[in-house]
Amino acid sequence: LKSKDVYVGELEQLILLVVLRLEDEAYANPIREDLDRVAGRRIARGALYTALERLEQKGCLRSAMGEPLPERGGRARRYFAVTASGLRALRESRRVLLGLWDGLEAKLETR
Amino acid sequence: VSAPSEPPRVTEWLLARALAATPFRDDILGDLREGYADCCRRRSRIYARWWYRAHALRLASRFAVRLRPTWKRGQAMDRFSIDLRFAVRSLRKRPWMSAAVIVTLALGIGANAAVFGAIDALLLRPFGFPDADRIVMPIETTPDSNYRRGTVSPANFLDWRRDLAGTIDELSACQWWDANLVGRDEPERVEGFRVSPTFFSALGVPPRLGRGFRPEEETRGNDAVVVLSDGLWKRRFGGDPSIVGQSVRIDGEFTKVVGVAPPGFDFPLGAEIWTPLSFDSARAPSRTFHSLTVIGRLASGVSLQDAAARVEVDGQRLARDFPDENARRGARLYTLTGGMVDLGMGPILSLWQAAAFFVLLIAGANIVNLLLARGSERTREMAVRLALGCSHARLIAESLIESAVLVVLAVPLSIAVAWGFLAALHGYLPARLVRFVSGWTSMAINGRLLAITLAVAAVTTIVFGVLPALQFTRADVSDAMKSDGRSGAAPGRQRLRRALVVAEVALVLPLLVAAMLGVRSVQTFMTGWQGYSPDGVLTVRASLQKSAYPDDDARRRVTRRLTDELAALPGVTRAVATNVLPASDSDETTRIEIDGMPVDPNRRPVVPERTVGDGYFDVLRIPLLSGRVFTSADRPDAEPVAIVSAAFAEKYLPGGAAIGRRVRLVGKPWMTVVGVCGDVVHDWFDERNVPTLYRPIAQEPHADVIFALRTETTPSTLGPSVRRAFAKVDASQPIFDMMPMTQMLQENTVGLQFVAGVMGTFAGIALLLAIVGLYAVMTYLVAQRVREIGVRIALGATAADVLRLALGQAARLTTAGVAIGLALSLALSRAMEAGLVGVIRTDPQTTLLLAVALAATGIASSYLPARRAASVDPIVALRTE
Repeated sequence: LKSKDVYVGELEQLILLVVLRLEDEAYANPIREDLDRVAGRRIARGALYTALERLEQKGCLRSAMGEPLPERGGRARRYFAVTASGLRALRESRRVLLGLWDGLEAKLETR
Repeated sequence: VSAPSEPPRVTEWLLARALAATPFRDDILGDLREGYADCCRRRSRIYARWWYRAHALRLASRFAVRLRPTWKRGQAMDRFSIDLRFAVRSLRKRPWMSAAVIVTLALGIGANAAVFGAIDALLLRPFGFPDADRIVMPIETTPDSNYRRGTVSPANFLDWRRDLAGTIDELSACQWWDANLVGRDEPERVEGFRVSPTFFSALGVPPRLGRGFRPEEETRGNDAVVVLSDGLWKRRFGGDPSIVGQSVRIDGEFTKVVGVAPPGFDFPLGAEIWTPLSFDSARAPSRTFHSLTVIGRLASGVSLQDAAARVEVDGQRLARDFPDENARRGARLYTLTGGMVDLGMGPILSLWQAAAFFVLLIAGANIVNLLLARGSERTREMAVRLALGCSHARLIAESLIESAVLVVLAVPLSIAVAWGFLAALHGYLPARLVRFVSGWTSMAINGRLLAITLAVAAVTTIVFGVLPALQFTRADVSDAMKSDGRSGAAPGRQRLRRALVVAEVALVLPLLVAAMLGVRSVQTFMTGWQGYSPDGVLTVRASLQKSAYPDDDARRRVTRRLTDELAALPGVTRAVATNVLPASDSDETTRIEIDGMPVDPNRRPVVPERTVGDGYFDVLRIPLLSGRVFTSADRPDAEPVAIVSAAFAEKYLPGGAAIGRRVRLVGKPWMTVVGVCGDVVHDWFDERNVPTLYRPIAQEPHADVIFALRTETTPSTLGPSVRRAFAKVDASQPIFDMMPMTQMLQENTVGLQFVAGVMGTFAGIALLLAIVGLYAVMTYLVAQRVREIGVRIALGATAADVLRLALGQAARLTTAGVAIGLALSLALSRAMEAGLVGVIRTDPQTTLLLAVALAATGIASSYLPARRAASVDPIVALRTE
């Protein structure tokens, strides 16, 4: 790990990946649904907000407000997007993980 | 109610407040809205609402903690919020214990609030009239009666109205009136009252339609007018506003409807129709017939005391001026509420309040226990803080906040408990009887009840918050610091906990005893000896219409015909008419003279009088002890005869030869006693074996008759054929209160069932709470002694020895509690005996049995903790050494 890189935890990685996959539709509700559906992680609503806020503080995510919507009581959606440093963190963690996986397939498959 | 797409509005508002300091508050609210709409589509709206609430609660509890930075309003607030969060956290650490305490508190506070609600509605403000505390009720008193309603004679009322003008205005009288209403459909008997023209204005309740009565309608001949109650108007006349001015047939006469009372007005005693109380200008009103209830409004500037003094003086004057009629009579002034309320109501409600208070005390003891348990874990912490200069006040404040959090959480639940309790009371009283209890329908959760709930909650908070805190602050700092944390609790605190258990047990026993006494007397009255057999008897009542049956002859004939028709019905073996049946809610008494027994004319015996058709003793299966029963030969022109009860014969005709002796009603011809019959129990609150006089109904016909039918089938199935039998004789004669005699008996004991039921509920709650308390204390005491027990086992004590040790401790505590409880029970059952004469009998056997059962329960509840003690592993227990 280079010193200027940020470290992202496992849940944070999952969130970043889900945000990437959702592209333009990445706001809290679908992020939470995808975490459940794709990654099998049910997390509390409150925990998700906290994690999103932390990721934004770390500079891995940036957010922008959409249009006010009547079905939200006139409130806008906050759409998230992964920043360059977020992408770097993801790439880095993939690299580390793949490196560690290398050569272990046989061991893990037999179990 | 919010629109279908809107989430629960209050929840959303609260959530927005809770998230005030959260940067992404709007995100959360918006996301939740979307989620809610989604949930609505996929599931139901109800589900979605609960989904929303659950999520809001979780979010609020997560983010509301961030409130702190925004609360920078000075140190006190900051400290308060720290204490608050600390209290919440420490309660969340023991969720089950906290929940138990909250439920306990809710039961204690709820029971008190509910009983207060009952007292408030039934005793303090049963009437919703404007300025009700200015409405007064003068009554006539006699040394040997404590009746308040229906005690004033018409002549005395008219004198009062003249004499008291300026002191009590709009003095009005009312008198019971059974109105037989023949309207558009089936004839109906309605509860009516004859009232003075000023009646409605005295109560401050003008009719909603038409008018009240005019002064000239007080004269006989002008009095064929009525005011209908709102309920009767809607029920029988479809709420037709043109009814005012129309005529209806009442008691066979055409009577003009002049007004309709406002909704809910049913004074007095559930009245549905009012007519003027009229006087015959040709005849002087009676001074001896004491049947009026008089009410009036205090004149402006006159205090209740002044008016009461005036009334008393006037009572003395009437006694002086009319010594024949008013000797030994006086007058007293009550407030309307004080005069109308049933005499038994006060003692019964105080009994309930006492019981509810006991429950609260027991609940409180459990809470002190919890707080003490927490405190004992923190003895060293407290000592350190005190040593470092923390003030006692601050420790007390912490403890107060902790108990306040518990109480605040318990308050909504306790209101639910109170609501449930009042709903149960409402559901239990038969609709027929509701009218006799003024204020019954207004018994509900209202502002005053909420206020008293909060007041009780506040007192509870303070008492149960300060009590344990005083224990820590009294702790000797150096002692606590010296000990290595092994002893855990100061001896003083242990003593307090033990005292709490003893107190709990001591409070439960009297409640159990009181409940059991109530249950036993209900049982005794309903299934025990009655002197007659109610099974298989159907009863039905009629008030014979005065216009159709104006005199004794007509009444005798129609009673005879009705009896014959009823007796001829299939399934009926015999029918009989009477004026009063045992266990019916009416009674009739008369003043008598006994031949050969000289007596002071003012102290002539008063006995229940029953006029009965022949066959009465057969229908009710009342045994004839000697002589003969009435026969059809006991006609009006035959010799007047009477049958007396065994108690009558013993008390008034002693010497064994009652038959052939003579008795008479004051001023009436002598009657020869022809038989002696067994005694019956008339009413559960009556004394037993009341001397009773029976006369043939043929010699003394009545307008108000009850028919008793001995049947071979289930009595309740005979309804339609009984109605047909009545219609065959007189289609315009209404009947009422048709029911099996067993039901009459059951309804008659409703009051007692209430006493027993409420006491039983309270006793059950108290017992449960005491068991929980005992269990908790024993668990704690065992935990405190783990090391000691470990040493004992290491030194060779067997499991049985340890079990005996722990159970012995429990036994000592419960025995002490039971001993004190026995003394309290004795006092309480004495009080019940005095309050409910003749019903409750103290019963040492039952009391002892309950005491033993309670002690056994107490010891049993400590069995589990004792087992735990016995299974202590000495290695584990001593490892921390």
